[in-house]
Amino acid sequence: MIAFVLRRVFQSIIVLLIVGLIAFLMFRYVGDPIESLLGQERTFEDIANLRERLGLNDPFIVQYFNFLLGAVQGQFGISYRAGVPVSQLIAERLPATLELAFVSGLFALIGGVALGVYTALRRKGVIATTIMTASLIGVSLPTFLIGIALIWVFAVELQWLPSNGRGEVVAIGGWTTGFLTSSGRASLILPAITLGLFQMTLIMRLVRSEMLEVLRTDYIKFARARGLSARAVNFGHALKNTLIPVITITGLQLGSIVAFAIITETVFQWPGVGLMFINAINFVDIPVMATYLMLIAVFFVLVNLIVDLLYFAVDPRLRVERPSSK
Amino acid sequence: MTAFSPRHGRYLAASTLALAVALGATQPVAAETFRWATTSDPNTLDPHAASSAPVLGFLNNVYEGLVRRNQSMAVEPSLAVRWEALGDEGWRFHLREGVTFHNGADFTADDVLFSYERASGETSDVRSWFATVTDVQVVDDYTIDFLTSAPNPIFPGSIANFMIMDRDWSEENGAETPATDEERYTTLNANGTAAFQLVERSPGVRTVLTPFDGWWGDVEHNITEAIYTPIQSDATMLAALIAGDVDFINPVPIQNVERLQNTDGMNVIVGEEARVMMLGFPHEADALTYDGSPNPFTDVRVRQAVYHAINVDAINQTIMRGAVEPVSQLVTPDMRGYSEGLSARLDYDPDAARALLAEAGYADGFTFSLMCPNDRYINDAAVCQAVVGMLAQVGITVDLVTMPVANYWPELRADNFDMYLLGWSPGTFDAEHPIRFLVSTPNEERRLGSWNFGGFSNARVDELLPQVQSEVDEGVRQGMLDEITGIMQDEVAYVPLYSQPILWGVRDGVSVSPRSDNFFILRWVSVE
Repeated sequence: MIAFVLRRVFQSIIVLLIVGLIAFLMFRYVGDPIESLLGQERTFEDIANLRERLGLNDPFIVQYFNFLLGAVQGQFGISYRAGVPVSQLIAERLPATLELAFVSGLFALIGGVALGVYTALRRKGVIATTIMTASLIGVSLPTFLIGIALIWVFAVELQWLPSNGRGEVVAIGGWTTGFLTSSGRASLILPAITLGLFQMTLIMRLVRSEMLEVLRTDYIKFARARGLSARAVNFGHALKNTLIPVITITGLQLGSIVAFAIITETVFQWPGVGLMFINAINFVDIPVMATYLMLIAVFFVLVNLIVDLLYFAVDPRLRVERPSSK
Repeated sequence: MTAFSPRHGRYLAASTLALAVALGATQPVAAETFRWATTSDPNTLDPHAASSAPVLGFLNNVYEGLVRRNQSMAVEPSLAVRWEALGDEGWRFHLREGVTFHNGADFTADDVLFSYERASGETSDVRSWFATVTDVQVVDDYTIDFLTSAPNPIFPGSIANFMIMDRDWSEENGAETPATDEERYTTLNANGTAAFQLVERSPGVRTVLTPFDGWWGDVEHNITEAIYTPIQSDATMLAALIAGDVDFINPVPIQNVERLQNTDGMNVIVGEEARVMMLGFPHEADALTYDGSPNPFTDVRVRQAVYHAINVDAINQTIMRGAVEPVSQLVTPDMRGYSEGLSARLDYDPDAARALLAEAGYADGFTFSLMCPNDRYINDAAVCQAVVGMLAQVGITVDLVTMPVANYWPELRADNFDMYLLGWSPGTFDAEHPIRFLVSTPNEERRLGSWNFGGFSNARVDELLPQVQSEVDEGVRQGMLDEITGIMQDEVAYVPLYSQPILWGVRDGVSVSPRSDNFFILRWVSVE
């Protein structure tokens, strides 16, 4: 187990280094930060000076190395756009993204499993077929369209929920939370649904097909024949055995929830790291872009690690040492 | 459509302004919290660290300069009560007495000297405003001299956005210099003298201002608290206005203007911005970047043909929904130094264009590539698309290349274009400004022509520019500006297209006044 974890950690570091390398290779094509940093009346001399100060004349590999050197010391540089340390910027923005990801992940998981089980058990029912059809919309509509539609219906027409932002937040230590105020909770609803809808339909369809498969297997027939209650058969045996792929997908999707929060955050002006990243791209804010990409890579790597560990917990077969696994 | 002409908009703006003044003068309306949103958050609150419109526009509510501009852009007293030229040697400013900063400190000439040193330092982004200043001398606590290397008649107007900071406050907080690549206290904190003071600053999320009780001026607004939120997505910002989450937005996406006007309780304020859009040519290049064939744009007839081929009215009607004003020069009629006698554009005349092309030896046309940003100006890519179609009608094939502005300027700087789209807003609101940056022969040492990507060069223009800069007699100066404008038009240095509209969305009961620099001035707001 420990060897397994260590091996994964080592692989993860390699992945991170490669992500960083690709990121720095790409920055050259994003544009020139000098153009957004200096006003229209700047001189050639100003440009040359600033370029030198920011180290933009160095080859990208040197820039990357300097970034890594700072990063291992916890220094991620100063944001070109905001003029504050990137670490501070991210610390301020991360709670918003994580809270949003948590709520929409929960929404996707609970909604997806519940609807998946329901549609699997009532395969021919009118409601189930309606849900299945409606879920196609959730999968095929782009996020920003869903977001804008929700804003128009619930904020503009019905005026039930705020159109954008995070509402009032409460600071607890370095963490700001919107859970403790009514406006904060109200502000979470629309972006959480927008962000989680795709994942929910995905999980639902997955649970449904897995359930249908499991329900056909012999041991379910035996369980039924034994006279177990429908509830015990469906949830105790069938659902439990569908969970392995569900955990894999949910875990991987959690990573993409954080990563794809970019679009949702932009539509709802949600002050998270995704919105910060979009701003950084527009401004060619290299320190912020680099740190964000590394952060997302770390996040994906961690989630994968946790998913692997969860397999151990859920699937007893993996715990048996097999000689061939060497 | 008639309800939405710029002319009408200006009338509308003027009438709301009159209303605001009337209300403010007679009976203060019940005071209110005012919420507003724009697409771009000021990236710093340091008035000398950035010279971008979002920063300077926002900070005009918190900091003040020696002079300021009124609704029609005319220069008026602010922290200086009056000023006079010191012969040919510079300008003397007599400062307002009894002014205090938001932290309670007194404002004196020493603060002006400090602000000058700070704003003209190496890390300042506004140092070009002081290019001609040789020295600044404090005469007494309320008198200060700005000495210049040559007479500079437009100097007071050119420093309207030069904002004065408190020396002690800046020094105590270690912010003696502005910075873009280091942390500064002044990035997130502000201490000005203006009508509003900063209460809360959360970059990219929310910024709160409240009226400054100790302000020296007459209060016209009735705001008790002003909350600013940046909202990046146009559609979300529009929704926020209609949903009542904000009282004011800038800009209204042009395709939504009519719709917003037809929404109950909503209003659109239309104004004319100082930003002039134009097409630029490669005057210097030997060959086209498109296929390496000889550069046809060196022939003035080809440039005239392009001018004749472009139908600005059609662009206005179809892409800009009638909101823009066609222009014939690089400044709008509101700007100082505008050449009244040269206000006619070349006619839209495809036949004349074809004839000119034939005369120049391009009867069969040619192919070139047009560079265009797609996230910088209002409907920029769509305008270029229209230009492509119009040039096709006279036999010129255009390969359109559009890209985000972050990539666009480096491409232009690398001479990677055969024609390009550019918008220019003169920081000094004077015709000299675009001549200095766009028309003068590029010269690094003398800091001229830094945005003249095409390398247009005319000896007479270069000769006249220094004279324009130092000519004190208004009539003589205008004569020289007219001559330069005439040369630019004859030579078709650029094809001036139109000036961009200001499109502000407000809910009913809010009166605001647009200014052609598109700055949003809070002290002109009144809320019902």
